[in-house]
Amino acid sequence: MAMFAAFHVAGSGLLATRKWLDAVSDNIANINTVSRTEDDAFQARMVVAQAEQYGGAGGVRVAGAMFGDPEGRLVHSPDHPLADEQGYVRMPDIDLGDQMTQLMIAQRGYQANLSVVKHAQDAYTSALQLGQRR
Amino acid sequence: MSIPSIGSVTALAGVAGLPALPELPSVTPADGDGGFGAALTSGLSQLEGLHDTSDVLAVQAATGDLQDIHDYMIASNEASIATELTVAVRNKAVEAFTEIMRMQV
Repeated sequence: MAMFAAFHVAGSGLLATRKWLDAVSDNIANINTVSRTEDDAFQARMVVAQAEQYGGAGGVRVAGAMFGDPEGRLVHSPDHPLADEQGYVRMPDIDLGDQMTQLMIAQRGYQANLSVVKHAQDAYTSALQLGQRR
Repeated sequence: MSIPSIGSVTALAGVAGLPALPELPSVTPADGDGGFGAALTSGLSQLEGLHDTSDVLAVQAATGDLQDIHDYMIASNEASIATELTVAVRNKAVEAFTEIMRMQV
């Protein structure tokens, strides 16, 4: 499918940034998830993007997800129902500022790929106007 | 006034026959695999495939099974541009045909 290659490449970029947005929203949703000290903390989700290199139409794909530190951080909160004898609970080590930055980058990436689709569509449509008398 | 006999008018005698027309190249049909008709047919079947993809995604959008919005939008855009392209090719072919039919014989 070489005819609409720009659509497919931009579509792969849209898919990758959509997955990135999903991962960031997961991280933000779980930023206050508390677990017992003997359990793992919520691990931050990070998508791994990889360029398509094997002679296809090009583009990007999400090769997989990587997970953050299960250690998290220990928070002293003796009133919490999940607290241990010393009064500690485990919380994920996710920085909200970092996640918001990633959210903005992912959103801009999604918009950029949509813009590629739009411009490719405009280009193909004007190519169809070529040689028309009206 | 003496009128020269017609036989003495010899100016035309030097006019030789027109040179033979050069041999026209013979017209061969395009590479044996049906030419334009086959190209149009394969284009139409490709177009049908694009519309099928777009329809499947439209049904998924309606039933809530659609994973990615952009997948459907890209597929429908592709189908619409491919349709316009096919129609443009058909119009050009019809235009060429009518142009030939209008030729004075």
